[in-house]
Amino acid sequence: MPEEILAPLAGKIIQLNLEIGKAVEEDEEILVIEAMKMETPVFAPLSGTVKEVMVDEGDEVEEDQLLAVIDE
Amino acid sequence: MRPYFEKMAPLGHALKPGQLKQTANNQAVFETAEAEIKADVERVRQAGFSTEKINARGQMTVWQRLDYLVDPDTWCPLHTLYNPAANDEGTTNVIDGLARISDRWAVVIGFDNKVMAGAWLAGQSENILRVTDLAKRLNLPLIWLVNCSGAKLPEQEKFYANRRGAGAPFFRHAELAQAGIPVLAGIYGTNPAGGGYQGISPTVLFAHKNGNIAVGGAGIVSGMAPKGHFDLEMAEGLIKKAKAFKTKPPGSVKTHYDETGFFRYVFEEEKDVLDGLKAYMADLPAYHPRFFRVAEPCDPAFPVEDIYRLLPMAPKRVYAFEEVLARLVDGGEHMEFRPGYGPEVYTGLCKIDGFPVACIGNRQGYLGKGYPEYADYPGFGGKLYRQGLIKMNEFVTLCGRDRMPIVWFQDTTGIDVGDAAEKAELLGLGQSLIYSIQQTDVPMMLVVLRKGTAAAHYVMGGPTANRHNAFTLGTAASEIYVMHGETAAVATYARRLVKEKDAGRALDEVVDRMNALADDYHDKSRPLFCAHNGLVDEIVAIRDLRRYLEAFAGSAYQNPTSICPQHQMILPRIVRG
Repeated sequence: MPEEILAPLAGKIIQLNLEIGKAVEEDEEILVIEAMKMETPVFAPLSGTVKEVMVDEGDEVEEDQLLAVIDE
Repeated sequence: MRPYFEKMAPLGHALKPGQLKQTANNQAVFETAEAEIKADVERVRQAGFSTEKINARGQMTVWQRLDYLVDPDTWCPLHTLYNPAANDEGTTNVIDGLARISDRWAVVIGFDNKVMAGAWLAGQSENILRVTDLAKRLNLPLIWLVNCSGAKLPEQEKFYANRRGAGAPFFRHAELAQAGIPVLAGIYGTNPAGGGYQGISPTVLFAHKNGNIAVGGAGIVSGMAPKGHFDLEMAEGLIKKAKAFKTKPPGSVKTHYDETGFFRYVFEEEKDVLDGLKAYMADLPAYHPRFFRVAEPCDPAFPVEDIYRLLPMAPKRVYAFEEVLARLVDGGEHMEFRPGYGPEVYTGLCKIDGFPVACIGNRQGYLGKGYPEYADYPGFGGKLYRQGLIKMNEFVTLCGRDRMPIVWFQDTTGIDVGDAAEKAELLGLGQSLIYSIQQTDVPMMLVVLRKGTAAAHYVMGGPTANRHNAFTLGTAASEIYVMHGETAAVATYARRLVKEKDAGRALDEVVDRMNALADDYHDKSRPLFCAHNGLVDEIVAIRDLRRYLEAFAGSAYQNPTSICPQHQMILPRIVRG
């Protein structure tokens, strides 16, 4: 079951640890969004394989924007 | 109130494999920073003569005395690195902390007899002021290990006089006596002048057989009338007189036990003095813990060591405050006060060692759409907004009513700023919180988990802004400053940059100054700086935090000056609704 990763807040992607086809572990830090001088890490909600990545480092994103998809 | 406190809501989660993998580096960085602090503590422990040298003289060192005096595993040192005058000796020359003696909490302080035979040094009276304030705030007995050779004479101008100078501790002892707080003193070695008053000002004096206290020592008694200069003839005369006094220093046991009776007891061996103090401590009034406990004590639900992974050393990283709290309080349980309101701040009731304690801490990260409600920008934890300030005002007021000691956990970047914030009354609400805290008159402690910034450091139980802060702890991640260094550089030089640009001049010099200021802020906000200058009372290793919390809770409930019967507490009822 694919899981969509949405941006929890608006900000700039300053770190992206996702690569299509690579495995991720539940609760692993998959990207970091910077906003209001603070860095908010986003963690993998499940273990699986990265199916899609819609953003790059440096991108500005909106809250709830689709960032990536992880396949279980 | 058993149904309220015995089993409360669970807090936090066990670390998952992904978190363990991700946070290993943070733990390593944290422990490296703690090792640096530990090395500085060791330097203070090794200051002055070696233990072997002191022991060869038939004396114990202050550290050995403390070790023998206090109950095992209860020593919680404070002010170890405090050295505000940057003394060459690297210490204020008193060692102090909280500890249990004969199963009762006490504030304990002793002169370091390895360093100039326990002399008065600059900054020492400020250290003693903190200690006497601590005894007063927690209503705990103060135990002195007096071994004080008097002032370091070549530097007397730094500490002898002034409102908070070296004589102030004697008045402070009188003040404690006035408040009904006993000061017990074990007296060792030669204690002339300042040392004599250190010896005479406590409540009950326990002397070692070689101890003495005197208005002046041999050096003063043998002094001659000033001639305006010294010469060899005078020097020869001084040698004769000094030798005579050396064999018989004033104020010995023969005088102050046999004649004046100032010494209540005299003991043959050094350890006997400490046994005497222990025996007295066992007789001092103290509530049995069961009087105030609301549940059986138990460990936190998860290991305190997890905090090395959960509390980011990177200052901009957000984290979950509740996960930290779950690793410090009994069973990882709590009753949250007004969840959902003022989301940037956690307020709730927890248990520490079975005692009820209020906890307040900054949450971190994005606070969700529409918050703060008065602004068109997003709210982030660490900052304080209108609701959070109102909630803290309410909570501390109710804590005062329920006589609930408060533990503050700071990781704050300040109170929200700007016109919208002003219209939302944040300036007034911050000051209201200071007023609310002052009204409570309950003991508080503060842990600066990471950032203590701007007025938020004051209003969230900071030592600067209230008399109820018993002590403040920092961690290896702490940084305390009025604002971040880069913000300060912008505030200081932004207009100058405009001026230089308009004049067509190069900006390099101003940019260099901005960088220099930011670097200076960084250096003067680090944990060691905070400890040396008293911005915190101790930098504590994460794995020791729980021990300090237990010491605080046990101390606060040992002899409180006012009580709220448990079944008349209102806060648990408000939480339950």
